[in-house]
Amino acid sequence: MLVVLSLSIISLDLNGRTHSITSGVKSVANSVYSPLRQAVVDVTSPIGDFFAGAVHYGALQKENQRLQATIGTLRQQQGEKGFENTQLRNLMALESLPFVNSLPTITAQTIELHSSNFTMTITIDKGRADGVEVGMPIVGAGGLVGQVLQSFHHTSVVQLIADGQSKVAVTFGNAYTGTVDGQGPVASMTADLVLPHTPLHKGEKMFTSSLDAGAFPPGIPVGRVTSFHASAGASQETITVSPAANLNQLAYVDVVLWEPAA
Amino acid sequence: MSARSVLRVALVILLLLLVQSTVMLSIDLGGSHPDIVWLLPITAALLAGPVTGALVGFWAGLAFDLVLPTPFGLGALVGCLVGFSVGAAVVALDARAVWLRPVAAIIGGVAADMLFSVLGAIFGQQQMVQIDFFSLFVVVAVASVVLVLPVDRLMRWALITDGKRRTLVSAHTNDSGIW
Repeated sequence: MLVVLSLSIISLDLNGRTHSITSGVKSVANSVYSPLRQAVVDVTSPIGDFFAGAVHYGALQKENQRLQATIGTLRQQQGEKGFENTQLRNLMALESLPFVNSLPTITAQTIELHSSNFTMTITIDKGRADGVEVGMPIVGAGGLVGQVLQSFHHTSVVQLIADGQSKVAVTFGNAYTGTVDGQGPVASMTADLVLPHTPLHKGEKMFTSSLDAGAFPPGIPVGRVTSFHASAGASQETITVSPAANLNQLAYVDVVLWEPAA
Repeated sequence: MSARSVLRVALVILLLLLVQSTVMLSIDLGGSHPDIVWLLPITAALLAGPVTGALVGFWAGLAFDLVLPTPFGLGALVGCLVGFSVGAAVVALDARAVWLRPVAAIIGGVAADMLFSVLGAIFGQQQMVQIDFFSLFVVVAVASVVLVLPVDRLMRWALITDGKRRTLVSAHTNDSGIW
C-alpha cells in the first residue's frame, strides 16, 4: 500500500497537469520549514565558522589579500569598459535585443549549497514574494550560474548549469550555435550540436543565444572551450566546456528578472 | 498505535531533517555529504520490525522530499522499501547482537542512496546517476556507523515507552495487510 501511495505521489509530481499540487505542498512546507532551518543555521554556523577560521587562518589571510587585489583590478577594468558598455547598450537597443546589463536584477544570498547528493542545485533567499519565477536566469561570479528550478514564497531552488539535466543554447565565434549540456559533478560540461570542423579555438567564449525558445536572454557568458576534436565519421564535434562562472564561489548571485518565452 | 509514539516519531523525523539540512549539508567530503535520514527506517525496523520500519521510512522519506529538488515521493518510496527490507532481513537474527546496528546502518544507508539514484534515473532524472558513487558510499557508510547509535537511542525513545515496545501498527495488522 505504501509503495503504491509513493508511486502515485511521484506520478502526480511528474505529470505536467498535476505538478502544481505537489509544488504547492512543497511551497507551503518550505514556508513553515525555512524559518526553523534558518534558526538552526544561525545557532550552528558561528560555531563551525569559528573552528574553520581557527584552522584555516593563514589561508584566509592570503585569500583576503588576493581578493583585495582582484577588486582593484576589476575596478580598473570597470572604468575602462564603461565607455564600451554604453556603446554596446546603445547598439543592442537599436536592434531591440534584450541584454543582461539592461535587464533588472535582484541580488540573492545563497542559503544552501547542493541540497542533495544527486543534483547540482543551490537555494537562494529570494522567492515569489520578491518577483522570482521558475525559469529566470541566475548570473554571478563571471557568467551564467543556472536557472530557477523551483520558486517558493521566500526562497528558490536554482539548477546549476553543470547539473546533468541542464541544457543551454549557446552562440560563439561567427554566429555558430550549439547546446551546452551539464554532465554532473564528475565530468566537464560538453557542447553538442556543433557541426564537425566548425572553426574553434581553445578558450573560445560561448554566450547564451535566444534560439532555444528564448530560454535565456542572449549574451550571457556560459563557458569557455577547454578541448575539442572531431572523430572520423562523427556527426558533431566533441567539445568540453568549463563554466564562465566560478561555481564554487556562489555566496551571492543575481536573479535576472526575465521570464522565458512561453 | 499510541498517539504519543506517533508524536515522538514525528519529532524525531523533524529533528533529523533539521540536522540533515544544516549540519550534514555543511560537511562536504569529495563532493558528497552524509544522508542520515535513512537511519530512521533502519533503526525503526531493527527495533519494531518491517512494518514499522516501512511506515517510519515512508513518512521520513516524504519529509525529506519536501526539502529536496528531486521528484516528490521518491524519498518516501525508498524509505518504505529500505525500512521493510531491513526489518525483514534481520527478523531471524539476534536483535541484541552488537554488530547488527552498524552493519545494518552501512548496508541500509548505502542501499538507500543507490536505490534513490537508480529510481530517480528511471523516473527521468538522468543526472542522479552522474555522480561519484564511490565517494558518496564511503561518506554515507562512515556517517551511518558513527550516527546509528544516537539515532537508535532517539528511535528507542520514540517507539518504546515505559519499557514496553510500541509499534506504529496495531497488533492484528500483519505485513501483507500494509502492503
